[in-house]
Formats: sequence, structure tokens, C-alpha cells
Amino acid sequence: MLEFWFSGFVSLLQPDTIAFLILGMGIGLFVGVLPGLGGTTALALLTPVTYGLEPVSALALAGGVMGGVPMGGAVTAILLNTPGQTANAVTCLDGYPLAQQGKAGLAIGAAASANAIGGIIGTISVLAILPVATELVLAFGPPEFFLIALLGLVLVATTTRGKMLRALVAGALGLMIASIGYNDVTGGQRFTLGTEYLWDGVHLAPALVGLFAVAEMMHLTIKGGTIAKADSDIQITNIGEGLFETFRHWPTVLRGSIIGTAVGAIPGVGVTVASFLSYSMTVQASKDPESFGKGNIKGVIAPEAAINAKDGAALIPTLAFGLPGGAEMAVFMGILILHGMQPGPLILMQHQSEIYSLIWALTASCILASFVGLLFARPLARLTRIDTQLLAPVIIALSLVGSYAIDMVIENVILSAVFGVIGYLMIRFDYPRITLVVALVLAALAERNYHQSMLMGDESWSIFFTRIPSAVLVIFVIFSVLSPFIRAWLRRPAAAGASSA
Amino acid sequence: MKRAFGTPVVDYVPALVMLAVTVGYLAIAYTYTPQARLFPVPVGWLMLALLALDVVSRTKTPIGESLTRLLNPAAEVEGAEPRYPVLRQLSALLWVGLFTAALVLIGIMYAVPLYVFGSMRFHGRKSYQTSLIAAVCVTAFTWVLFAFALQVELYPGALFSDF
Repeated sequence: MLEFWFSGFVSLLQPDTIAFLILGMGIGLFVGVLPGLGGTTALALLTPVTYGLEPVSALALAGGVMGGVPMGGAVTAILLNTPGQTANAVTCLDGYPLAQQGKAGLAIGAAASANAIGGIIGTISVLAILPVATELVLAFGPPEFFLIALLGLVLVATTTRGKMLRALVAGALGLMIASIGYNDVTGGQRFTLGTEYLWDGVHLAPALVGLFAVAEMMHLTIKGGTIAKADSDIQITNIGEGLFETFRHWPTVLRGSIIGTAVGAIPGVGVTVASFLSYSMTVQASKDPESFGKGNIKGVIAPEAAINAKDGAALIPTLAFGLPGGAEMAVFMGILILHGMQPGPLILMQHQSEIYSLIWALTASCILASFVGLLFARPLARLTRIDTQLLAPVIIALSLVGSYAIDMVIENVILSAVFGVIGYLMIRFDYPRITLVVALVLAALAERNYHQSMLMGDESWSIFFTRIPSAVLVIFVIFSVLSPFIRAWLRRPAAAGASSA
Repeated sequence: MKRAFGTPVVDYVPALVMLAVTVGYLAIAYTYTPQARLFPVPVGWLMLALLALDVVSRTKTPIGESLTRLLNPAAEVEGAEPRYPVLRQLSALLWVGLFTAALVLIGIMYAVPLYVFGSMRFHGRKSYQTSLIAAVCVTAFTWVLFAFALQVELYPGALFSDF
């Protein structure tokens, strides 16, 4: 095994492989900065380009893209409150308030180091877990997948502190929207109103372009002025401090990386869930949960560590079982197949050197992207001083064209515009958008596995309690639902004491 | 500003619109087979219950204030959006709507410069020169990135194609 780790590392050190890695990282960083585009689009568009390359070079290019996208997405999430990719939406919650407080450098520095450390921990996990991946994934069945989705959904409510009811409304709206389209279980169409475009359901990427990029820009044009109100707001003077902040909060980065790894190893759950779970757990573990959403640095570190750790771990089901962890991995599988590597147990025996090259490439890209992201953080920060009346039309134009480019269908643009209006109205009337997104991501997973669980359990819910992994997850779900109330109840004596004093 | 139960009427509008949408959603859901509606029906009823609570929580009645304290304590304190002039909001929505319609009808390469120029000049009140330069730059960037680098076939518009 060690010889393959080593040979994979050595093959990565070839000049042409390094060149493709850097090129991929640059593309990933650039695409990550552009709201609406993301790793999936970039990989899909690069797939034909890799055809003429050596497998190791092609995997280095793909690994570079996958490693670079999260850092690019973090920069815009922090500076513009516009996540480059879905998973970075969670980074907005505390990253943007930090930028508004003139601490953009601190947030970007912390995001960069959390990205790099998360990537390294993700790699270590893959190297350790890949050989025993079969047992890990086979331990999960439909009841566990349903409960993981449910856990994600209930955490929606508990993390949007102070707006639980509106968060639940937004979450339920997300579930309703997600039920549009083809139903896996019955094989029929639902709620499409005769629109052929909706047969595949509401396309997630264009919807997110609308909810975040378009809605945020509409909001900015209505507010007017600039994002950062003064030059002092964008002084990125605390990058070094931000880098070390991650090490100061090592339990947060470790927790995020472990969550990212665990979620990444489960096919179909997705990077958004990883970042969201990491954020939620960090809020729940914090002694000062009210500070989240107002610019708590841990709110940046937790999701960023999870995102990059997840990328590495998502290779486990993709490579070992041919089960893509998400859309990005599905496209990546296409690149593997194009180069004669059929994902599945055999790939680990027949292409070990290439696979370990890929793992190293992904890690190197995470680290490299963090450094390059830091180098360009200062010019990128200037974006926040541009008049929004200049910035918004540019971003809206690029976002809607990017939305079209995802599948090259014009209906994507209409969908983005509709979700842009929905997103703006949610900002205007104070409904959290993030809960709608999480519901959109998790609904299909929840519904499909609920049906399968019911079939397995002869229409009885006992199936969720009689299996050890699902019973553990049920406990997590119950604890998550009750945790805000438990915390409030625990604080009552202290609050009563303070008021009487 | 008209008020109902101490709250501006406009604040109830989103919940009431969603209520109407949910009723329609449930009505359609009940036309499906029991298997197909197994998930949508409970989601629809859950939404109705949540919206009812949302509407009540927005009132300045004792029940509404209790609900806000319990379930939405931060909603009215920190997250509430300042009330911008309605015309300004409608104008922003209209520009996005017009741009979308232009993309569909006349395609990307015509719609992008028109929108960037029009939005900056007439909505953002920027100079002709700034608006023109921005429109040319964004259009050139769009072509270089999407058509040239990413090899995306740019949509030519419904009026100029057989799409």
C-alpha cells in the first residue's frame, strides 16, 4: 500500500503534471469566484479537454479544479455575501458580517487555513479509510440515509437562531419546490404543470444562482452605495491573524474536518450538508451561540474545513463503489471512465498509482489554492468598494449567462430570475434563504429513502429503531430538535438569578 | 400605511401568498395516487400549520407577541429590512425581468450589452461613457469566457433561432 502512496506522490511531481495541477487550481479558483458556476460546471466543460491528456495529467487537472473551487467560493461569500458554490452559502452567515466589520482579511485568512487543513485531514482520512471503505458504506441503508437527511432538515431550524418559525416556513417551502418533477418511487411526474423543463425537477444550480447571486445584487441596487462603507472597511490587515485563528480554534477545524469526511463518505448527501452540519454542530457546541450570524470567526472555519475535507472523502464511495457523492463527483466519474478507469472495487487494484496521484493532487490543490487565494485577497477585496450600481449589472449579467451555461438551456435563466425574485422577497420579509436551500438539497434523498425504508420495514417505523446506526441517528435527530429548548431551560436558573440580583 | 392587528398589512402578504400557493399545492397533491402523494401531502399540511403560526406571530396581539418571543425572537429586532421605497424595489425587479426577457428573445450577445448599459445609465444614473465602457467590457468578457474558453454555444435568442 505504502509503495502506491509513494508512487502516486512521485508521479505528481512530474513537471507536466504540476503544470496541469496549477492550471486546474487556477480555473477552480476563478470559477469558484464566479457565482453560479462551480466545480460541476467546470469539470463538465473540461471533460472533453482531458481526452487528449495522460490519465495522471487529466486527474491532476480535475483534482486542481476540485481543490480550487472552494477557496474561490469562500472569497466571494465573505466579501459579497454571494457564495461561489452552494456549500459556501454557510460561510456567508458569519463571513459577510465580519467583512462588514472591516475584518474581511481575518475571515479570508481563517477560511484559507481551514481549507488547507480540512483538505489535509480529508486526504489522511481517504488514505486510511479507502482500504476498508466497503464495510463503512455497506453499514448504511435507506433508513440511515433518510435519517441523515432528516437530521440535516431539523438542524435547519435550530441553527437559524431567533428565526426558527420563519426558517421552518422556508424549509417547508423548499420541500414543496423539491417535490416538483419526476418521482423516483412512482415513476410519474408531479407539479410540473405541463412544463417539460421541470420533468427533472427544479434544477439546483440555476435556482441557487437566483437565490444568492441575483437576489443579493437586486438587494444591493435597492440599498445603493457600496458594500463596504469606507476604505477602512476593506483593509485586509489581519490575514496572518486569520491564518492563526484557525489553529487557535483547532477543535472547530477538527470537528468540521471529521464531519466533512463522514458526510463525504456517504454517497448522495453532498457538500452543502457537510458545511451546514459542521456549522450547526459548532453553533450547538459553542458557549456563545448568539454570536453566530453576527461575525463569529468559528462560523467561517467550521464550514470551510468541512468543505475541503468532504471533497477528499467523497472519493471513497465514488472510487470504491462507483457511487458518486454528488453532481461534481458524477462528472468526475465521467473523466475516469473516459480514461479507461471504471469506478468500482477493481479500480483500487488496477489503477492504484493514478488514484493516489489524484488524492495527492487534490490535497496539493487545496493548499495551493489557499495561498493563491490569499495573494489575490487584497485586489478581490476592492470589489466591496465598487459602487453597487456598477457591480450589480455585471454580476447579474454574468450569473444569468453562467446559469445558461450549466446545461445550455435558456429555461435555466428564467428559473434563476424567478428564484432571484423569491430570494429578494425572502430578504425583504426576513425569511432565511439557507433553510430553503438545504431542503431543496435534501428532499429527494429523504423521500426516496423514506419510501424504501417503509418497504423494508413492512410499513412500520420500527425499522428506524431496530438497526444500530439508525437508532444512533434517531438520538441525534431528537437531541438536535430539543437542544435549543434544553439550552434555554438550563439557562433559566442563571437568568433568574441575575435578574433577582 | 394600513395596519391590521398593529402590523402593516404588507407584512402579511408573503405568508398569505404562500398560503394560497400551498392550498393549490395540496389540491393538486390529492389528485395523485396514495404512493405519489405520500410525501407532498404531509409537507403541504405542515406548511399550512407553519404559515398560520407565522401570520399570527406577525400580529401585535398578546398571542402574536408570545409566539414571536418563543419562535422568532430575533426576527423583528436585528433582521428586519429597512423599508425602501416601493418604486425603487419594483424598478430593480423590473430590470431583472427585462434582462431575462431580452436574453430569451434576442439572445445573450445582444441582451448583455443592452442590459448592462441600460441598467447602469438609467437605473444607476452613471454617465454614458462609464455605462458604455462597462457594457463593452462585460460583453467581451462574456464572449471570451463562455464562448471562447469554455466553448459554450451562446443562446442566439428565440427571435433569431429555431430553438
